[in-house]
Amino acid sequence: MTDKQKDLFQKFAALASLIALTAVFSFVSDSFFSVGNGMTVALQVTSIAYLGIGATCVIITGGIDLSVGAILALAGVVAALAVKAGLPVPLGMLCGLVVGALCGLVNGLCVTLLKLPPFIATLGMMMVARGVALQITDAKAIGGLGEGFAALGNGSLGRVVKIGTDGFPDVVFPGIPYPVLLMIALAVAVAVLLNRTTLGRFIYAIGSNTEAARLSGVDVRGVTVFAYVLSGTLAGLTGCVLMSRLVTAQPSEGLMYELDAIAAAVIGGTSLSGGVGTISGTVIGAFVIGILRNGLNMGGVSAFTQQIIIGLVILLTVWIDQMRHRR
Amino acid sequence: MQLHAAASAGTVDSPRRAAPEPLLSLHGIGKRFLAVTALHGVSFELRRGEVHAVCGENGAGKSTLMKIVSGQLQPDEGHIAFKGTRTRFASTREAEAAGIAMIHQELNLVPHLSVAENIFLAREPRRGWWIDRAKLQAGATACLQRLGVDIAPAQLVRTLSVAQRQMVEIAKALSLNAEVLIMDEPTSSLTETETEQLFKVIHELKRAGVGVVYISHRLDEMAHIVDRVTVLRDGRHVSTDDFAATTVDSIVERMVGRPLEDKFPPATRMPTTEVLMSVRGLARKQVFEGIGFELRRGEILGFAGLLGAGRTEAARAVFGADPPDAGVVQLGGQVLRIRSPRDAIRHGIAYLSEDRKHDGLAIDMPLVHNVSMANMAAVSGRAGFIRFKEEEASARRFVDTLAIRTPSARQLVRLLSGGNQQKVVIAKWLFRDSRVLFFDEPTRGIDVGAKYAIYQLLDELAAQGIGVVLISSELPEILGMTDRVAVFHAGRITGTLDTRRTSQEEIMHFASGRPARAAA
Repeated sequence: MTDKQKDLFQKFAALASLIALTAVFSFVSDSFFSVGNGMTVALQVTSIAYLGIGATCVIITGGIDLSVGAILALAGVVAALAVKAGLPVPLGMLCGLVVGALCGLVNGLCVTLLKLPPFIATLGMMMVARGVALQITDAKAIGGLGEGFAALGNGSLGRVVKIGTDGFPDVVFPGIPYPVLLMIALAVAVAVLLNRTTLGRFIYAIGSNTEAARLSGVDVRGVTVFAYVLSGTLAGLTGCVLMSRLVTAQPSEGLMYELDAIAAAVIGGTSLSGGVGTISGTVIGAFVIGILRNGLNMGGVSAFTQQIIIGLVILLTVWIDQMRHRR
Repeated sequence: MQLHAAASAGTVDSPRRAAPEPLLSLHGIGKRFLAVTALHGVSFELRRGEVHAVCGENGAGKSTLMKIVSGQLQPDEGHIAFKGTRTRFASTREAEAAGIAMIHQELNLVPHLSVAENIFLAREPRRGWWIDRAKLQAGATACLQRLGVDIAPAQLVRTLSVAQRQMVEIAKALSLNAEVLIMDEPTSSLTETETEQLFKVIHELKRAGVGVVYISHRLDEMAHIVDRVTVLRDGRHVSTDDFAATTVDSIVERMVGRPLEDKFPPATRMPTTEVLMSVRGLARKQVFEGIGFELRRGEILGFAGLLGAGRTEAARAVFGADPPDAGVVQLGGQVLRIRSPRDAIRHGIAYLSEDRKHDGLAIDMPLVHNVSMANMAAVSGRAGFIRFKEEEASARRFVDTLAIRTPSARQLVRLLSGGNQQKVVIAKWLFRDSRVLFFDEPTRGIDVGAKYAIYQLLDELAAQGIGVVLISSELPEILGMTDRVAVFHAGRITGTLDTRRTSQEEIMHFASGRPARAAA
């Protein structure tokens, strides 16, 4: 097999499992394979996908970001507090994004300037960000944020509603939720960044061989910091979207999300040793996790069993990936 | 079996001198690695209580031979007799159990464990399931005392100096009650006093009847301890003599005495006297100091010297990979401030690493990405969007001009041969329009045909007016390819010689830090 074929195989393997899952769940449950449920899944997947896109970039450089779940919570509550304080919703959410970016910047500087292992740097940030989020909210949820705050998470494009003969509204097409549109836009943008720009090339080069990249004049520090800032910013965005969907800002939101993000990337073929990974793979990975959860939910499988199954799926896919590399 | 018993008994009873049979003898040892034959029927013997030096250039087969003796490798031909009995060691453990220990050049200690724990690693004295700490400590103390070194057994190895670690390695070998001790470049990291201390220990070992195989590039210091010397060249045994009956000069001659065939292309370059780059007073603490050289337009300047003499280190300093503490680098009359490889690359200086895979190439990326890596700006637009067609076209251009054998420019570098990988690195720097190229061991691990192509390329580059510095441990390569050669020893340039008027012997003399003799 050429490497191109191997790549295709990997992608196909992830995609095939996605299709297989869909088929199985459709067979088991009548309501699984419907436009409505499709949108539900897509909406549920958005958080993992946003974080997974950032995680992919960081992992390609050979790093890891454990702090995104906590950054998400901090960014979300900051946005909510800002709106509560009277800032217009877009500005409030911008505050959330900036907080996310700053946290990412600190991560990046810890990794490049202080030369901390990424695992430790982001583990520290995970605790700090979560702690700050709990501190500034007194560990209480922030409610009463108003309709404006809810628009981003709950609105959708192209929703078609017909008034039925009985006078009740009948949803013909639920529309594409804004978070889903945002996910598509982000995936395309970051994929283009990784594949078509010098910055993306450098991200791969650093993960492939940091020293070779440095000796080729690549600004290893700058590029690495960029990856962490991107991851932090996307975590901030995830926080804003998630809190908007719930119309409540929860400082305890997003627990363990970083692991879902990493799992999505890994299922999608991103190598934890760096240098390898694609956005399309990560999005597929996110959907594998999302569909598993959704389908198992509909099948009445308990949350505990779900965890077991998802854990096994991760082991299986990474094992397949290892097999591929050994050949 | 009987013979073995007799031999074992002999170690205890018989007087050392009278022992007629050698302690260790190797007969017709041959070893092949894939297509390369590392050893051709090499014989070697070691007597009790002697220090036997093994000399040869890099790649002469010294290490392979010693790995066979110490059980790391198994010979394809020939056999080993230890104390008169034919033996075969399947592993270092077996060899160690029999009493053959090797002290490696790169020390094999666990930094986070104590000295005592290292000495008895994997052989800890036990009491039931537990390690017998008291015994461990006592055993280590005894070994260290025998060496006469002042190291506490409880000290962590990572807090020790390199010389102290060397001593711990030796203590470890002693604790094995080794009868054969192989030392690979034991003094390369030692100061003069530490070396003396080591020699005292070696004398002690000799008196105790231990046979020592001593591998070193430092021929000048061998007179103090060595009894006999064996020279290897190209995997063959050349000679074995009493050290007293020979001279350093004749040893060197035999080491390098390979006739210079047409391994090198005819020179087309025309060296000028115009100085392209000059380096003065380059220094980095405890690595090198006072390094100064001039690189002239159209010439190939050689950096000769032993491993660790400062050649690579100086080149990396000029390139900004490990910025120097002091020194001035001038290129085309302009003083450069180089703090990182980016600075150097911007000024047109490139360094081609001796370790391509570790820091020259991203081997899991395609050829084209590696070629463009140092010059992405040339193939991308304003927003950083890569112009793929242009990128691939320029990579293809180098595939053609450098005759890189690859099915396509998109081939992963990992799948190319060593020679072609080297060409990819060269392509990277040519694409960057470099003015000065440091080639660090560019032909290491490359087959003969590809070597010739690389040599041709070096000559062409110099002919085009690019400054070429060739760092090499292979003297024939230095003599065959350079116009002038700067010889390094212990972090200094001990001499800059005109290649046409020098010889391997003279270079070796400067490289071993004996310029006085050579100048005479």
